Amino acid sequence: MSPGVEPAGRAVILVVEDEPEIRELEKYFLERAGFEVQFADDGELALEMVNTINPDVVVTELLVPKLDGLALCRAIKGDESHADAAVLVFSFLAAAGRAKEAGADAFLRKPLARRALIEAVQRLLRQQREGEDG
Amino acid sequence: MVEQDGGGLKRIGTGEPRLDRIMNGGFPSNSLNIVMGPPGTGKTILVQQILFQNVGEDRPVIYLSTLSEPIAKVVTYLQQFGFYDESKMMDRVIYEDVGAALLEDGSAALLDRIRELIRTREPTILVVDSYKAIHDLARDEFEMRQLSAQLGRLVSAYDVTTFLVGEYGETAVSRYPEFAVADGIVQMIREPADNRENRHLRVLKLRGSNYLQGSHAFSISHDGIHVYPRLVTPLAPERYGSSGEKLSTGVEGLDALLQGGAWRGTSTIVLGPSGAGKTTLGLLFAIQGARTRQRSLYLNFQENPRQLQKTADSLDPALDEHLDRTLFFLYRSPVEMQIDAVVVELFEMVDSQNIERVVIDALGDLELAAASRERFHDYLYSVVQHLAARGVTSFLLLEGHEDLEYANRYQDRRFSTLSDAIIALGYAGANGPNPVRTLRVVKARNTAHALARQQMDIHHDGVRLSKLETP
Repeated sequence: MSPGVEPAGRAVILVVEDEPEIRELEKYFLERAGFEVQFADDGELALEMVNTINPDVVVTELLVPKLDGLALCRAIKGDESHADAAVLVFSFLAAAGRAKEAGADAFLRKPLARRALIEAVQRLLRQQREGEDG
Repeated sequence: MVEQDGGGLKRIGTGEPRLDRIMNGGFPSNSLNIVMGPPGTGKTILVQQILFQNVGEDRPVIYLSTLSEPIAKVVTYLQQFGFYDESKMMDRVIYEDVGAALLEDGSAALLDRIRELIRTREPTILVVDSYKAIHDLARDEFEMRQLSAQLGRLVSAYDVTTFLVGEYGETAVSRYPEFAVADGIVQMIREPADNRENRHLRVLKLRGSNYLQGSHAFSISHDGIHVYPRLVTPLAPERYGSSGEKLSTGVEGLDALLQGGAWRGTSTIVLGPSGAGKTTLGLLFAIQGARTRQRSLYLNFQENPRQLQKTADSLDPALDEHLDRTLFFLYRSPVEMQIDAVVVELFEMVDSQNIERVVIDALGDLELAAASRERFHDYLYSVVQHLAARGVTSFLLLEGHEDLEYANRYQDRRFSTLSDAIIALGYAGANGPNPVRTLRVVKARNTAHALARQQMDIHHDGVRLSKLETP
């Protein structure tokens, strides 16, 4: 465990990313931080997986094939059965405003840096827990 | 909603503010860059300067040596430089030799090692020196193309800024695949000039960013790389001749000839042979400025500064009161002088000290320091325009025949078109028993000046002009 990163339990993170180098790095850092990581390399597959694995957090790039990240975000947020799933839009595009409009819970600009990613995911999980407790 | 947005590019500083200025703030963060040039141009020094400049608290910077120079040698020389900081070595500045792994496992070993380092050390900056050497390991061009494409994807996946160093020639840019994936390319060049060498660098590419095009001189010292940005001629000098104010030259008779003095923001060439009084006129012009609270700078290449100050002392007994307040002397030895360095230094001083008057003593020294006469004319033109744009009034001293036509024709000098005014100094009756110094206003824009030669007498406290009695 890296210093400054708190243990995160076995929350399930769905990473939606079609660039293998980024995906592998995200998986590596997220797993090392204690999360269970699943992948989807396009938006349609991601939406199917949201239905089957019921992730705690979806981390999605906007520029993914078949169903883009904004459409994926709208689909998740528009379905009450996924009300618990938080969406982190993690993209090279500076599109925080559009991500927010699509219902994303957080936006993080790429490039990937371990600490920023882990902290953003942890923050979302904390907010989820506080929501459940409250 | 957590927002970490912002469309602007973060920048990686080079440790040389003038190079950062050329690059509009530095290399864009998370970019892949190539530093290219022949051996001995300073590539490794530049990238190491960048490494040490950007060492952070949390994440290290990493230098990977491939097949060119062993780490021991790189680090031995590194320790000579002022930017080197022993306390940062190993934990925060990591040097690693990947040459053996490359020889054993081929070029792909580089990607494996970088992937591993990104995961375990999370570097902010990564240098591969030399990347070109890896070409020798690759079986064919396709392998190199694949390696470069994969490297590009890998380093752009993470928050790391990458520098590939290589002894590439000009033709490599269109031939080698790494140049296609590069976001930035900086070329370093060393050119022989007479019995010394001039170093230049050029930014050939900087994706998503403006940069100052063209060749910029640089030098290497104990502190690292010093860059002297090419002087770009301002498009339209804003204050050029607009003040309508005349400034006293410090010589009463000359002011009378010029109908009040030199126009503010103009350049005057003071031309004449050795001993004709150019330095005296220049000093009087600067001292007159200092006396009237116009900050004045005397840039000198020849006279020993102490000697020059002594001459100035005799011209103004109150000189000490002005020194380093309104009067500044800047001496630079003409030996090994780089014109770009002097010009940058001149304008930095003009700007930082709010200089209003400048004397350059003398243009001939600058001319010798320039790579070519053509280049010197371009320089001088730019210098004059920059001074004008700042409203600085200048006297530019020039050794040469007082007959400007002669100088233009036989010495291939075309200075006359560069300045607003020309004052020619010379001698009358030089072969007779009583030679005298002379002064003539050859040209003065927007001034109905007299053309007749005047006798010029230099006294301990100044210069006096009178009607020339001898022909």
